[in-house]
Amino acid sequence: MYQYGRVTPDIKSKLLEIVGSEGILEDEEELSKHSHDESLMPPHLPEVVVRPSSSEEVSKIMRLAYEKRIPVTPQGSRTGLSGGANPLYGGIAMTLEGMNRILEIDEENLMAVVEPGVLIMDLHQETEKRGLLYPPDPGQESGTIGGNISTNAGGVRGMKYGVTRDYVNGLEAVLPSGEFISLGGKAMKSSTGYELLDLIIGSEGTLAVVTKATLKLVPKPQHTALAYIPFNDVKGAAKAVSEIVRRRVMPYALEYVEQHGVLTAERYLGRSLPDHSHPAYLIVGVEGNREEEVERDLETVGEICMEGGGVEVYVADTQTRQRQLWEARKCLFDAYKAFWEIDEVDVCVPRSRIPDYIEGVKRIMETYGVLISNIGHAGDGNVHSIIVRGELERDRWLQLLERVTERLIELGISLGGTVSGEHGIGYTKKKYLPYKVGRVQVELMKAIKRAFDPHNILNPGKVFDL
Amino acid sequence: MNPGLNIVVCIKQVPETTEVEIDPETGRLKREGVAAIINPFDEYALEEGIRLKERYGGWVKVLTMGPPQAEEALRDALAMGCDEAWLATDRAFAGADTWATSFTLAQCIRKMGPYDLIICGLKTTDGDTGQTGPELAQHLGIPHICYVNRILEVSERSIKVSRMLDDGVETLEAPLPTLITVTKEINTPRLATLSGRLRAKRAEIKTITLKDLGGNPKSYGLEASPTRVVKVFTPPKVVGGEVIEGPPDYLAETIFKKLIELKVI
Repeated sequence: MYQYGRVTPDIKSKLLEIVGSEGILEDEEELSKHSHDESLMPPHLPEVVVRPSSSEEVSKIMRLAYEKRIPVTPQGSRTGLSGGANPLYGGIAMTLEGMNRILEIDEENLMAVVEPGVLIMDLHQETEKRGLLYPPDPGQESGTIGGNISTNAGGVRGMKYGVTRDYVNGLEAVLPSGEFISLGGKAMKSSTGYELLDLIIGSEGTLAVVTKATLKLVPKPQHTALAYIPFNDVKGAAKAVSEIVRRRVMPYALEYVEQHGVLTAERYLGRSLPDHSHPAYLIVGVEGNREEEVERDLETVGEICMEGGGVEVYVADTQTRQRQLWEARKCLFDAYKAFWEIDEVDVCVPRSRIPDYIEGVKRIMETYGVLISNIGHAGDGNVHSIIVRGELERDRWLQLLERVTERLIELGISLGGTVSGEHGIGYTKKKYLPYKVGRVQVELMKAIKRAFDPHNILNPGKVFDL
Repeated sequence: MNPGLNIVVCIKQVPETTEVEIDPETGRLKREGVAAIINPFDEYALEEGIRLKERYGGWVKVLTMGPPQAEEALRDALAMGCDEAWLATDRAFAGADTWATSFTLAQCIRKMGPYDLIICGLKTTDGDTGQTGPELAQHLGIPHICYVNRILEVSERSIKVSRMLDDGVETLEAPLPTLITVTKEINTPRLATLSGRLRAKRAEIKTITLKDLGGNPKSYGLEASPTRVVKVFTPPKVVGGEVIEGPPDYLAETIFKKLIELKVI
């Protein structure tokens, strides 16, 4: 067990010197706001919240914390779903929200240089204005790029474009000791020693604090369209996913939503979707630089779906209609949270195993009598199983939740999947990490953690216990 | 006359944005690179027309006036479920204001055969006048009802609707044929289906030119438009204002005092 120092008045005054009075938040409301993310993990109050406005300040804060052995929990906008940003041991909550500048959009190298607090929606807006695209598009657009890098977030464009990792080309980060490291940059290739860059991505703020990121951009396709396809049965929808890919169509998004999700979105948004009376739906996004290309893909997708139990293919081709449909998909997490207490399992399985996963979830649902609504990035195999408390008594539900979560993760792994596709291990999924990676790999991870953070002060108690 | 309800829906193709730049030299909208869509209000008109057809039988003809590329908007309307598409296009029609536009549309509708009901969107997102519908009714010598938010009943000879006004809802009845303009409260426009789009792709678009309408070229387009555009500009964004922050009780109290101070309440 590591011994941690407290945030004494003396330390507070030192922090004040570093970040100024604007950068210290310590009233009850702020402490409570920074005590949790959006997961079910109970809140843990930090002793103080600091809000640095430059990498130098981050470095000085870390140096002080390192010297005094004070735990530091880096935070973005705390939209995580596995407790990653929850200050488990109190100490300092370091919010990077104030470092939110887009420093450069380099149109020759197709790279953006940003600070960690930049919101995903702002990054999308700024790049798209220039006809460029930062592909990762997680549902929660009010998340920060720093948070996305920390969890290796994915989102709806994963199947065609990959995940955050595939778009981080360089990082500046501060080690627990306060030292800077500069990884990668704008060069497209690198065979230069161990790739520490990839180690930082997805490390959930346990190895270093990201203070600047160089991100790859791609030209934005000029035409897009969305198809909304109700299916007569769940299995048909799940099977159509791999059939679409088998027929050489690569949609930029391929989302699966069950009827419960569609009804929940309608209730939340207060408007109706083109159809809500079928058990399962696919939302398929196609794109291209020529309209004919988009049309042809739509037709192929339509054909496959209609052969596989699709009922009708509704097409949104104007920006407004596409935005409205996406809004319905992207609101789902908030919609569920607005009406029920929920938790989520986000295993990722090989795309071809989605029908088996969906069927397995149905069995688990029947066994435990808990409502599970599957929503997901079916195209990349990352299904979000939303476990809804509904009318169940809370204690009973929490008990069942633990067992259901375990069953779902076991199911995912048995189908060749991972514990979490994009939410991360954080605190809430810690116990499942060895299920997938095994003891040897966990030991390697711990050794890496010790090399970066010998006093275990940076986001301690996350991913695994040292 | 066919049995059922025979409907004409008038639509306009508009740029899909509210932030179109204006060429300072010519005062015209710069439309390059901006996607063109059916005017959103006209989608409500199309949806209502198609719903009426589904309920009472009959057909929906869609009409637009515009450059040849306005054909795309017509195909989108066909994809939603319209039966026939008409495009009024001729250089002589260009530069028309609402008066000349509604005159041209009226001439076209006379050519398109008998009808029971004309439906227009309340207004367009680019012109924003809301005049073309009522003026069209005037040219055709038929009654019109604007701001319709619900169709209550259609009988063989008349239509009963409710419409939204600033101070309430009014129920009106008019003999057929008549013209209505509809608000966005009336329905949720459907998405076209893929099979509808494929059908629309192959459909014939009937074209109307000046020659088809006959008469004096001076009755159409810019020459027939009494409106003269003197200056076009984007109104400056309102900046400033006062931001009040604080807990809910404080905010409520402060706003209450402010409103009294400003003699709003």
